[in-house]
Amino acid sequence: MSERAGGRPTGARVASGGHGASGRHGGASRSPEGMWPPVSRRRKAGNLVFWLLCALALALVIAPTLWLAVDIIGKAVGNWQWNVLVTRTDQLQGGLLQPLLGTLVIASGAILIASIVSILTGMYLSEYATGPLRSVLRGAYEVLAGIPSIVLGLVGYVTLVVGLHWGYGLLPAVLVLSVLAIPYITKATESSLAQVPTSYREGADALGLPPSWTMRRIVLKSAVPGIVTGVLIATAIIIGETAPLIYTSNFSDVNPSLAHVTHLAVPSLPYMVYYFSFLAQPIKHANILSADAALVLLVFVLVLILLGRVIVAWSRRHAE
Amino acid sequence: MSTQADPAQPAEAAGPVRGRVDQAVVTAPHAATAGPVALTTAGLTLGFGTRTILSDVCVDVRRGAVTALIGPTGSGKTTLLRTFNRMNDRVSGYHRKGDVLLDGRSIWHPGVEVMELRRRIGMLFQRPNPFPMSIMENVVAGARAHRLVGKAGMKDVAEKHLTAVGLWGAVKDRLKDSPFRLSGGQQQLLCLARALAVTPEVLLLDEPTSSLDPAATQAIEELVRTLVPDITVIIVTHNLAQALRVADRTIFLNQGRMVENGETRQLFEHPAEEETAHYVAGRFG
Repeated sequence: MSERAGGRPTGARVASGGHGASGRHGGASRSPEGMWPPVSRRRKAGNLVFWLLCALALALVIAPTLWLAVDIIGKAVGNWQWNVLVTRTDQLQGGLLQPLLGTLVIASGAILIASIVSILTGMYLSEYATGPLRSVLRGAYEVLAGIPSIVLGLVGYVTLVVGLHWGYGLLPAVLVLSVLAIPYITKATESSLAQVPTSYREGADALGLPPSWTMRRIVLKSAVPGIVTGVLIATAIIIGETAPLIYTSNFSDVNPSLAHVTHLAVPSLPYMVYYFSFLAQPIKHANILSADAALVLLVFVLVLILLGRVIVAWSRRHAE
Repeated sequence: MSTQADPAQPAEAAGPVRGRVDQAVVTAPHAATAGPVALTTAGLTLGFGTRTILSDVCVDVRRGAVTALIGPTGSGKTTLLRTFNRMNDRVSGYHRKGDVLLDGRSIWHPGVEVMELRRRIGMLFQRPNPFPMSIMENVVAGARAHRLVGKAGMKDVAEKHLTAVGLWGAVKDRLKDSPFRLSGGQQQLLCLARALAVTPEVLLLDEPTSSLDPAATQAIEELVRTLVPDITVIIVTHNLAQALRVADRTIFLNQGRMVENGETRQLFEHPAEEETAHYVAGRFG
């Protein structure tokens, strides 16, 4: 790369200096590319510097991700046994069964609630809200996206766990995580709806079709891939959230139970990563479980993101 | 077709706006020349925000005829056309004075349901805009939603209207396919079939051939002639030759004012207004 960038500008400068106004003919006699005015050395150097800065920025994004993934996989794979997925956690040993179930139940509940609220919110913002109301509402959920999750956890703790005397449990965890997911799904819904071509809506309006029909048969149908992708991304984000869980579900070694959604602490994988780690527990068994839990979460996130990609690719192919 | 409207309807329905009807009929220059009036605008002034697009427009549109709306860019042709089926109502900053009467009854009368109004006054846009569903579903979408046809009758309705626009032969084996694989002209014909399937009385065409090639343009123009006199057609066009070819009557708008309204030949060959003479001679716009 540097050889090319360093070598060619010299010749280019000679060409531009030597031929000036008649550069077209002179250049043509030297080489076929000479038809075009030569690129200055300065421009080439500028291009190279900018290219390097971009590559560096990309490396800065990718390096920590790779490092993290390699670290997690390195710690977990060496001691990996498939049966940890079905073995119960017993004190600081055993497997991941209860935390795994806990995470699945908490994440599903949170995404279910968040999806309903967010999709309706997104539809309202995109289709019905106008003027200042719309800006205020949009600002509100964008601010919500910026609130640190631990603050949301604390709010959940103060209002739900303590304020409503629910104690630690499934319900406060689900509610707090759903609040965390709402901005992402709302944003995805709103922007997918906004991308539905106006000509569809106009065509439907001009036929005198009711707005509900247009919404159901045309607008939502075109927006569904975008909304589903938003839901998957939101799931990937909340599934690894730890801070809110410290305040709301806490940890135990029982199975999550829909019959006891309050007053029963529920285990979860992110909490396990933190609580069983070498920072909290200087016990090898526990540390291995912590790494296993991290690996399972990493795989979850990866699968969710890949699924989102597949949906986007699929809908592109079928969009025409 | 419902174009053979009940003659008693205008008189009985005019009610609160009858005064304006009379005024409009009087101000329209060619009111006495031809058959019954389908649409009338009475002192229609309309704008968005601080801009006024139409000022004091008084025209009448003959039932069962093709009427062309011509005028330079920005003269308010499309705005006037979109007012007829109330497509402007929800544009921000929209304000209006005056009235539009369909069969003598205000289209903004509280008793008028906008969905039903738009079923009666159909529209075709500059660019074909089929829905993202199969060709067959496109044709019957409106008819199904307005409960003009049940599930069983869908195929018949699709065949009838696709045949009417001359598209049946080309698509009869691919009714389940996406309409986006059709050519632009075919897509526009499909949109026309879709508009016809809800049995409109009036059809608004907003430069329907501006994105089409000459052959497709000819197909659409020939089709437009077959729609009258069952359907009243209003066509916005930039193409004066097209107006001459398809329109029985022509309305010339300039800077939001109605300049002249009359028989197409009369208007092109012996315009009453100097502005019209300039425009049809290609001297401005």
